[in-house]
Amino acid sequence: MLTASWHGLLALFDPTSILFMSIGVLFGVVIGILPGLGGIAAMALILPFSLSLEPVAALAMLLGAHVATIFGSSITSILFNIPGASKSIALCFDGYPMTQRGEGARALGAAAMASLIGGLIGAIFLTLTLPIMKAIMMALGPPEYFIMALWGLSVIAIFSSGSLLKGLTAAGFGLLLSFVGMDPVSGTARFTFGSLFLLDGFDFAVVVIGLFAVSEMIKLYITGGSIVKAQTTSEMGSVWIGVRDVFIHWKLVVRSSLLGLFIGALPGVGASIGGIAAYGMAAQTSKNKETFGTGNVEGVIAPEATNAANEGGGLVPTLGFGIPGGESMAILLSAFIVMGITPGRDMLENHMDIVFSIVWIIVVANVITTIGGLLLAKHLVKVTTLPSSVLIPVLLPICLVGAYAIKGRIKDVIVVVVFGIIGYIMDKYKYSRADMAIGMVLGLMLERYMHISIKLYGNLFFLTRPVTLILFLVVLGTIFYPFIRGYIANKRNADESGVQ
Amino acid sequence: MLKRKSLVLILVVLLTISLITACGQKTEAPAPKEEVKSEPVKAKDITLIVPNSPGKGMDTYARMIAPYIEKHYPGAKIIVKNIVGAGGVVGTNQLWHSKPDGLTFAFTSFPSVLLADLSEAEGVQFKATEFTYLGRAATEPRVFAVGGKSEFNTIEDLAKAGRPIKFPSQGMDEDFFAAAVMAKALGFQLNQITGYEGNADTALAVIKGEGDGHITALSDALPMIKAGDKKPILMFSPERVKDFPDVPTALEITSGEAQDFMKVLTNMIVAHRCFFGPPGMDPEVTTEFRAAITKALADPELLEKAAKANSEIVPMDGDKLQATVDEIAASAQKIIGPMKQALADIK
Repeated sequence: MLTASWHGLLALFDPTSILFMSIGVLFGVVIGILPGLGGIAAMALILPFSLSLEPVAALAMLLGAHVATIFGSSITSILFNIPGASKSIALCFDGYPMTQRGEGARALGAAAMASLIGGLIGAIFLTLTLPIMKAIMMALGPPEYFIMALWGLSVIAIFSSGSLLKGLTAAGFGLLLSFVGMDPVSGTARFTFGSLFLLDGFDFAVVVIGLFAVSEMIKLYITGGSIVKAQTTSEMGSVWIGVRDVFIHWKLVVRSSLLGLFIGALPGVGASIGGIAAYGMAAQTSKNKETFGTGNVEGVIAPEATNAANEGGGLVPTLGFGIPGGESMAILLSAFIVMGITPGRDMLENHMDIVFSIVWIIVVANVITTIGGLLLAKHLVKVTTLPSSVLIPVLLPICLVGAYAIKGRIKDVIVVVVFGIIGYIMDKYKYSRADMAIGMVLGLMLERYMHISIKLYGNLFFLTRPVTLILFLVVLGTIFYPFIRGYIANKRNADESGVQ
Repeated sequence: MLKRKSLVLILVVLLTISLITACGQKTEAPAPKEEVKSEPVKAKDITLIVPNSPGKGMDTYARMIAPYIEKHYPGAKIIVKNIVGAGGVVGTNQLWHSKPDGLTFAFTSFPSVLLADLSEAEGVQFKATEFTYLGRAATEPRVFAVGGKSEFNTIEDLAKAGRPIKFPSQGMDEDFFAAAVMAKALGFQLNQITGYEGNADTALAVIKGEGDGHITALSDALPMIKAGDKKPILMFSPERVKDFPDVPTALEITSGEAQDFMKVLTNMIVAHRCFFGPPGMDPEVTTEFRAAITKALADPELLEKAAKANSEIVPMDGDKLQATVDEIAASAQKIIGPMKQALADIK
């Protein structure tokens, strides 16, 4: 085991491998910055160039590009409220408010460091727990995925501090939007009004660019000035404050990373849910719960660590069975096949060095990305101080082009503009856009897995399956715990005052 | 001030990159063509519609083959265009309405086109069997496989189970209909669990034992069969597959109406990844086009490339493919009944 790990590392420290990994990382950061395009696009674009390389160098380039997109998309989420990929949406919730407060560098520093540690923890635990992860993956099925989606919905409570009714309205609107298009179970067209474009539903990445980025441009145009509303002290210092934040909240980092690894190992539970789940977990366990959504650094650290660790998790089904854990892993799988490696048992028995090379690639690519990110942060933040008259004309076309680039359909550009206006109105009247995004990303998952569970295990599936029942009780517990705690605290106060 | 200028410059560079990426959607150039062409024949731009997402299996095939059609079709310049939407219906509609002048053709999965038509899917404007078929690039058997730890070892075992067979599926594709008809013919109860996101998800469900079996391409299932995670119990192919002489085909074990259905289904799978043009193409252009495709698919350079990418080329000439499609057209009406029944069962 150890020798295999060592061989894997040696194979990686070949100059060509490192060179191609650096190329991959650079490419990944740029692709990550472009709105809508994430790891999948980066790997798909770079795949043709990797096929003629040595296996390790090819994997280094592919995975390097993939890993780097995570931080790349976080940059734009934090600085401009533009989610570079749909899984970094949770970074917008607190990262962008931090930028507005003049703490953009701190947020970037925290994100880079959290990404590094998350990636490391993900890779290390993947190595240690590969057999266990495989068992967990085998034990959980659609009923458990359904319960997890349900738990994800409970996150909306965090953003509904002003008015629960408004929060629920926004989430309901998001759920409703997720149902537009073809019903995944019976193939019936819903809310399409005979339009073939709507039959495919709204693309989450497109809607999110409109909802967060375009609406922010509209707001910026109306208010004028620049993104940063207040300037804090020395910026380079801020980057290191962000790095320090990660170490202060090390428990949160470990928890988020393990969550990311776990979610990544479950095929069928998308990466966008990982970030949101981590965010919810951070908010529910934090001491400063009420500051979430207004620029709490914990809200940046948790999703970033989860996203970084998620990649390691995605390797579990890919390496274990040759079944891709997500779309990006499907691309990796096709690369394996070209190289003549068959993932699955054969790989775990005969190509253990390649498995470890992959783990090491994730580690090293994370280190390169983080170092680059920390050095760049200082300069990137300056962009946010530009006046709106310069920023809007440049950022708005990037958003529109990004929306078009996702699927190459011009109607998506119209969708992005419409949701930009909707997002602006929602923000103005204090309907949480985050709630809407959460409703939208979880809607299809809830529907899909509820139907599958009912068909597989009957209407009472959440009571008859022990694992599901335990998870269900845990979810109920986390939802009601704050209320019960509040009730007990009130009662105690009342009792004490009664005694006096 | 200078700094601000350089920042703006960076943003503009970013914008340019994103524009390039966006445009790359359509113009991603196929491998450069050989320069000098002996005689400058009538140069023409031909659009190849691929109604599937860029980068996915069907698109990879199309882009791999396109340069070789150019090579063997004097004067042709092929532009691959991905027109996605509604499970391929949008792109196929566009081909149906384009002029039959030989300047537009398409490449996709024949079963999806035919089934979209027969099941009267939302928005379909075409008649699948009326297109002009130009040549097949690839086909492969599909396999009905159960989990490695499953209690079933042969297709007959399913009837003896005494309980509904759980069949995870993605929705209304050829596999969904095949399973429904198979269950009727062999007399086993079937619980079709639709809604799985993709082939990977149904495969995992079968390996885990959450579902009993699913139908998939043989090449997808092969590594899992070798590892013992799956057992093949039925093949959908004209003849038994060489590597699995003991596994019967769907044609062998059915009779009567069910066999009629399996004949159509097997023919459909035979036609699989094919090139086709709008209905009523000029016979002369059709012959020319078919010949070019046949030559392209026999090009040793392409075959070598395909073998390396694990995308096997199994060609069939346009004439023969057209005959297969005509055969399907003659019997397609027979399968509409069972299809409607299968759809009604899940709604």
